[in-house]
Amino acid sequence: MPVDNRRLWTPEETIPPEFITKYRPTTELVNQNGKRRDGREANQHRPTYLKAGAISQAKGSAYIEMADTKVIAAVYGPREVMKREDFTMSGQVKCVFKFATFSCKTRQKHIEDDREKELSMTILEALKPAIRLDKFPKARLEIFITVLQDGGSALAAAITCGSVAVADAGMEMYDVVIGCSLRQIGERSLIDPTTDEESHRSLSQSDEKSNETSQAMMTVALMPSINQVSSIIQKGELSIDGAKQALKQCLDTARKLHPVIKQCLNKAVEAKLKR
Amino acid sequence: MAGMELLSDQGFRIDGRKPCELRRIQSKLGVFGKPDGSAYVEQGNTKVLAAVYGPHEPRGNIVKLQDKVVINCQFSMATFSTGERKRRPRGDRKSMELSMHLQQTFEAAIMTELYPQSQIDIYVEVLQSDGGNYCTSVNAATLALIDAGIPMKDYVCACSASYLDDTPMVDINYLEESSGGTELIVSILPKSEQIVFLSSNSRLHEDCLNKVLDMAIKGCKDVYLCLDETVREHMTQVSASFSAD
Amino acid sequence: MAEILMSEAERTFILHGIQDNVRSDGRGCEDYRPIELETEVVSNANGSARVRLANSDVLVGVKGELGKPSLDTPEHGRLEFFVDCSANATPDFEGRGGEDLALEISSMLARAYDCPSCLDTQALGIIKREQCWVLYVDILILECGGNLFDAVAIAVKAALGNTKLPVITVRKDENDETELEISDDPYDCERIKILNAPCIVTLSKVGNQHIVDASLQEESCCLSRLMVAVTENGTITASKTSGSGSLNPESIIDMLESGKRAGTLLNKTLHAKLLEEEVKVGTKKKTMGFLT
Repeated sequence: MPVDNRRLWTPEETIPPEFITKYRPTTELVNQNGKRRDGREANQHRPTYLKAGAISQAKGSAYIEMADTKVIAAVYGPREVMKREDFTMSGQVKCVFKFATFSCKTRQKHIEDDREKELSMTILEALKPAIRLDKFPKARLEIFITVLQDGGSALAAAITCGSVAVADAGMEMYDVVIGCSLRQIGERSLIDPTTDEESHRSLSQSDEKSNETSQAMMTVALMPSINQVSSIIQKGELSIDGAKQALKQCLDTARKLHPVIKQCLNKAVEAKLKR
Repeated sequence: MAGMELLSDQGFRIDGRKPCELRRIQSKLGVFGKPDGSAYVEQGNTKVLAAVYGPHEPRGNIVKLQDKVVINCQFSMATFSTGERKRRPRGDRKSMELSMHLQQTFEAAIMTELYPQSQIDIYVEVLQSDGGNYCTSVNAATLALIDAGIPMKDYVCACSASYLDDTPMVDINYLEESSGGTELIVSILPKSEQIVFLSSNSRLHEDCLNKVLDMAIKGCKDVYLCLDETVREHMTQVSASFSAD
Repeated sequence: MAEILMSEAERTFILHGIQDNVRSDGRGCEDYRPIELETEVVSNANGSARVRLANSDVLVGVKGELGKPSLDTPEHGRLEFFVDCSANATPDFEGRGGEDLALEISSMLARAYDCPSCLDTQALGIIKREQCWVLYVDILILECGGNLFDAVAIAVKAALGNTKLPVITVRKDENDETELEISDDPYDCERIKILNAPCIVTLSKVGNQHIVDASLQEESCCLSRLMVAVTENGTITASKTSGSGSLNPESIIDMLESGKRAGTLLNKTLHAKLLEEEVKVGTKKKTMGFLT
């Protein structure tokens, strides 16, 4: 949106207020009873609502809500590739991932930034192995995923949502893909972290400054029926055993989500049949 | 620039050269395996890598020419090549202009009529820049084209010259380039002494032009001797390795 | 990435070789190809290194600039990774052709270095909320001969180790305004501790086996790979899968194990080599650069 900078003088740079305010929540991320701020256990996933067919114009679509995380995905195509040079014998898939401008604490830009580009590539890599590309040569499938609200684990939600949207579009797939995130802070591993848990460097507020505790974030994409991992993305320090443990926990949680997705797809098919 | 004399009383330049002296040229052919031809040239502190691909079928949206080959040049500079960090390695106006100049230079030297409906790519990468980017790029590209075995009318040798402190100076470095004097760049085919590219910036008195131009052409011929030596050495090595097998 | 054409017979040959732990160039599954390393190759940068891993050629320059710290880490400096895929490597990279690969490499590096224990960014801070060092790590890819990520990570670590930043003293003048004084003595400089910095190990799954340091031929036989950033003591600072295939959970665990083994060894070898290089630089060694 063009802004008239000559008439409306604005400061050259702005700082979001939360960097200035002294207020910090006093409760710890995990209390003595092992409960997290929202009352969950460490290995508990947030209640998840999933709906296939949320956008009527798209060939397939899905909407996922995990408490504060809300993601919507739409699938168009497969469309014919117009340029002859771009022909390939296996189908092509394009994925655009976007944080809505209002979705995060700080305002996001309209144009795709590097983080979004990278996440787009990651999601594409996670979804591609599940889609039968040989079924649509010389054509391209387009997946658009928008995060409406980022309440943590947006990538995992986007992967799940994207795969349900592809399935809803009636594309032939080997399996659905389920994403799951894990946050490791010191010895604690928290499944499906919220934004708070994603950004904190340590469990208690007092030693927030210290860099002693190791922390990591891992997101895994699993195809549950054929037991194949299509993508892992991890950052932060983990020992080799920690990494194995984190992987295992993510996989276990992802498997638990499988019935939810099955049920949602069944419902979508039933609704389509009724129409 | 105050306090810096471009020519000392004893007749030496900032880096200790005489006015008619080139910087040290070191070069090598066949640096990489993947391209059809590649070369590396160092002229003092300016270091340039060049790679040549082709002739091959035109790619992308390049239009085939029925009577001659399309020459496609790309000039880029590493982001760490200059004193101040460059934001983008290519795509700015200066490098676009240089790409175009390179293309014009080599269209005049390559026997373009031999490969109709094809394309030759020349990619130049400046790793470290200390003046004379165009000249070193041309010299590196010439060597890369020779390494690729592409027929040319002759070597193309480029050299710059300037007129500072009432003296013509050859092969000027970055400090001399930025001192505000004129910069005359010339590329020639040394054997036939034909000029294939000539450019000059800021003003220069008409009377001095010939002196500076002669200086630059002399420089080009000296460059030619250096390049020719490298090529001959390289060929001896290559043929030796063939006969050894 | 650069694609090569290969026949079915060649693929089978490579596949069978890997099954028997003998690869087409005679290596075992966890062996690297010879690596050449040289530091201080570009004089306009604060630190630089060139790595040639068989046919993959990477040049890295580190330039330090003064900048403003980011809001959430006011006391820390930061690293900015920028990858440029030179068209010298393949004509496909011409113009903006290499940008996807460049982004993949730079974000993997950013993730690998984004952990407080592997690089002390607090040491790069100068004045809280006001000034800090921003290290621009610029990576130039000159030739792709397989296994780019590993080559890039080695070069980045070597270049950071080679980086010399001038010492900065902060003073207050009479008006209580802070003044920065930058030392102009080239020997009065600070170094960056890189002992805990990670190296990336890429494990490519070929058939039922996985291999490190895949050549271009081997890469074209492999559908999925796992990249692991490993420090010398074996902790993993980042990992990521890539490629169009998927992996079995058990094989991922195996791959992590091999990644750790190969990574710790690679780090040890690199440290020894860097030490050797340091001694050479001290005795005014002649940089060979691309003339060798």
